[in-house]
Amino acid sequence: MSAVTGTISEDAPTLEDDGKTVQARPAPRDEAARLGFRLTLPAQVLVLFISAFPLLMQLYISVTDLSPLSGLGWWNAWSLWNSFANYTDLAADARFWSALKRTAIVMIVCVPAEFLLGLALATLFADDFPGKRIFYSILLMPMMVVPAVAGYMFFMLFQSGGPVNDILSSLTGSPVTIAWLSDPTLALIAVMVADIWQWTPLMFLILLAGLVGVPEDQIKAATLLGANPWQRFVTIVLPKMKTIIIIALAIRVIENFKIFDTLYIMTGGGPGVATETISVYIYKLTTQDLIWGYVAAIALAILIVLSIVAVFAMKRMARARQVPA
Amino acid sequence: MSAIHLQNLVKKFGDFTALKTMDLAIADGEFMALLGPSGCGKSTTMNMIAGMEEPTGGRILFGERDMAGVPMGRRGVGFVFQNYAIFTHMTVRQNLAYGPRMRGAAKAEIDRRVGAIAEMLQLTPLLDRKADRLSVNILQRVAIGRSAIMEPAIFLLDEPLSNVDAAFRAVMRTELKQLQRQFRQTMVYVTHDQLEAMTMADRIAVMDHGVLQQVGTPLEVYNDPANVFVARFIGAPGMNLLKGRPAESDRGLIVDLGPLGITPLLPGELAAALRGARGDVLYGFRPEQALLVPDGQGLAMRVSFVERIGARTIVHLGQGEAAVKTVFDNDVGLAIGDVAVVAPAASSVRIFDAATGLAMKAG
Repeated sequence: MSAVTGTISEDAPTLEDDGKTVQARPAPRDEAARLGFRLTLPAQVLVLFISAFPLLMQLYISVTDLSPLSGLGWWNAWSLWNSFANYTDLAADARFWSALKRTAIVMIVCVPAEFLLGLALATLFADDFPGKRIFYSILLMPMMVVPAVAGYMFFMLFQSGGPVNDILSSLTGSPVTIAWLSDPTLALIAVMVADIWQWTPLMFLILLAGLVGVPEDQIKAATLLGANPWQRFVTIVLPKMKTIIIIALAIRVIENFKIFDTLYIMTGGGPGVATETISVYIYKLTTQDLIWGYVAAIALAILIVLSIVAVFAMKRMARARQVPA
Repeated sequence: MSAIHLQNLVKKFGDFTALKTMDLAIADGEFMALLGPSGCGKSTTMNMIAGMEEPTGGRILFGERDMAGVPMGRRGVGFVFQNYAIFTHMTVRQNLAYGPRMRGAAKAEIDRRVGAIAEMLQLTPLLDRKADRLSVNILQRVAIGRSAIMEPAIFLLDEPLSNVDAAFRAVMRTELKQLQRQFRQTMVYVTHDQLEAMTMADRIAVMDHGVLQQVGTPLEVYNDPANVFVARFIGAPGMNLLKGRPAESDRGLIVDLGPLGITPLLPGELAAALRGARGDVLYGFRPEQALLVPDGQGLAMRVSFVERIGARTIVHLGQGEAAVKTVFDNDVGLAIGDVAVVAPAASSVRIFDAATGLAMKAG
């Protein structure tokens, strides 16, 4: 009994310089710790299978020439060992790099556009105006649409005889028959329009939550000190929203990188490879080229890239959180 | 420097009238406290002076200048918020520099002014500290400094001490009063705490239910409340008020308190004021000014409760429906159930009209 109480006090949280509490590592003979380990073992095994196993499996496959045509199960793929040829191929794969570049372009256009539109709408909705609730509901609707359905909607809108051209026709006064989805540049633009349409509402929702959290007194104080609306926005509102802005951008950067369903229904990655993003490329390699070993290598490479983005965002968030509102 | 005139000021929120026709003149350099319970309209009044809310009717003048339509950033008022509204994402220096920076002052000029104000408020060593982890008294000084750097003619303070614990409040009261002497600005101070109003203000405007009840120096408001509300609200505990009817005795005018008996003889001036009064009156006296007197010379009442709070003893007395509190400087040895005979000092008696609630005065 006395031994138990002794070890408990040894295990008391220790306080480090930065104020975080850190649990002292339990000694192996510690009975409470051993019980804890046994109790959490099922959960730990589960976590291992959910995250570690697929990762290791991919790593393993990525150094082989595994293909469904080989007739081997994945566990026998070692016989197809290709001494990292997938990775050297990847470095030289122009189609991969242009897909990556295209994905980056889509992200660089869409995420800032969604951010700016979302911020503008959030600023608008932070004040009251008649019909606000109805507009609010309508505004959030695109987010609720199944991406495949959104893809179909924009596929129809951008047909050469579709409503987009009809509007352009009536605006210009002469019949417009642009083949949006058949032109390499226009197809990419159409795809980006669809993404912006669908995901601006999410940006709006997150930023609105951040905006209403800005203390009203501080805005009033700034006004009394002579700050004009723009100065108030830049010096008070934006700094107070820093954390939430980083969260919103990180969510959209990661999601946008994975752009697939809407795009695939609209263009199938075409014309040619004009709208082929990383996800579309992977899909084609998996289902058409059937080179699974190579796909595994690409998947790991992407995972590393996205992890770097996520870590960067979380670091910025941790730093921003040290400044409470 | 600026005097403030509120003329027929009215504020309505929909059907609710927050402020009913208020007239108030605040002199240049005066420290005016707006005092009242919550919902009395004091904050609304202050917000209208600051320009945060538009009056429904009436005028606000700063000196001779009508403030109608002047936006809050251009009124030249300093405002200290209840929670100080410090920009927590900035340093103390950035907070102080905010006003001049927003108005495009040159960097050297900003530095000079920040330096001067920080020196005055003893904030110099803290200038580069982030403003999110400062103690309340420092936050208060930053809030004052941030407004004072703009050299406003008028300073408005909205319950700046309500978030502070009692012990610290006394320190801050002194500090605030000293600051006002330094800056010499017109100050309007909103509070529900009469102690703050009494100790700091040159004059107090007592408000209730959107109506200005009385304006006067702290002692005027305490000694000569204009009506029953002020009598009860000012003082801790408030003034005792006993219902009765004026009556002639063989030696002069008294108030007949019914079952409680009759009061001691009213002093000459009050007797003159009451002569000819028909209806019921309220006989008022301060708990601090009640004396224990021999039987037959005062009101005999039973002790219902005794509060001993160190320096003073508050004795609750009751008789039928009537209740009185008395405050003594030392423990008078009364216990629950005892009968005490008390009488107010003649000069401290005040009489109010029971129907209108107004003080009755000679002339």
